[in-house]
Amino acid sequence: MTKRTFLAAPLLALLTAGLHAAPADEAMSRLRGAVNEVLGIATKASSKSTLAVSVTPVLRKHISFETMTRRAVGPGWNSFKPDEKAKATQLFSSLVVRTYANKFTPGEQPRVDYKTATSPAAGRVDVPTTLLYQGSRYSVTYRMEQAGGWLITDVVIEGVSMIANYRSQLDSVFKKGGAPAVLTSLQQSVSKQS
Amino acid sequence: MKHSSLELLTGLFAALGIAAVAWLTLKLGAGTLVSGDTMVIEARFDNAGGLSAGGSVLISGVPVGRVEAIRVDPADFSAIVSLRVKSDLKLSSDTMASIKTTGLIGDKFIALSPGAEEVFLKAGDRIIDTESSVDLESLIGKMAFGSVDKTAEPESEKPSAPLP
Repeated sequence: MTKRTFLAAPLLALLTAGLHAAPADEAMSRLRGAVNEVLGIATKASSKSTLAVSVTPVLRKHISFETMTRRAVGPGWNSFKPDEKAKATQLFSSLVVRTYANKFTPGEQPRVDYKTATSPAAGRVDVPTTLLYQGSRYSVTYRMEQAGGWLITDVVIEGVSMIANYRSQLDSVFKKGGAPAVLTSLQQSVSKQS
Repeated sequence: MKHSSLELLTGLFAALGIAAVAWLTLKLGAGTLVSGDTMVIEARFDNAGGLSAGGSVLISGVPVGRVEAIRVDPADFSAIVSLRVKSDLKLSSDTMASIKTTGLIGDKFIALSPGAEEVFLKAGDRIIDTESSVDLESLIGKMAFGSVDKTAEPESEKPSAPLP
């Protein structure tokens, strides 16, 4: 009996080690695919507005905008009506896409270096990367969660989380005027970007 | 007789002073003392630089707990911070923890911002959506001196030769 457990222990350790290594690799390859796909589109785009349009369907495939919006709104989200939730998700996703498309200069190719991915909890992987763009280096960490496949749920740029940044803003808007105020402010930000 | 009562009074006054100093030291050393039932939750940061045990934990600027301990996770060298917070707080599982600074160069504290999930954190749970201390010095350095890669460029900037 003791001999058997003695033999089983290293086997079990090996097996669990394999299980631990897998999600990080899986998420990493998914992210590489997504980044390459987006860059492929970005190099072909002639202007910022066409980039925003052509890149949206690809981003929807890799980013969980529903999760992002829920987290960005924060505690107020549960008092949103279903149609308000849908509207907020749609506005927030176009806000994110347009904000980042505006930062992009057509024809400039960024270089992305991937570092070792870590898995801080089950179903969660952080992929730290360094982005070299127009001569500047940025540290960008992608937070990914498993929901069917691996989806991006947050982007941390130079230590500042996108979700935390929006949450602090949207939460104070919500405290002032509830769901309608959040929708109005999102609407305003989207039209300012276009 | 009168002489000794004066001495007694002075002694009493001195003892009171020492007690006051001791109380103040304890109070300041332990940070804001949290009253009532508490629980310990953990938060995982890439960098907990400047944060120390006893630091405050705030939600919307209101103290709700304090930093109990900071340790390094031997597995991936991240910083694990134990937070003692009031146990009647219903913190959603997607609560975010950020290390912030009071003023520009003041003390570091942890700001919690609750999320939207209806599953709540229990004692011993870990917050993984965190923002580490923003390294202000390195950001200023980048702004002031530019990145390393940029300094190599100016020569070729004017002709703007297309990259191969």
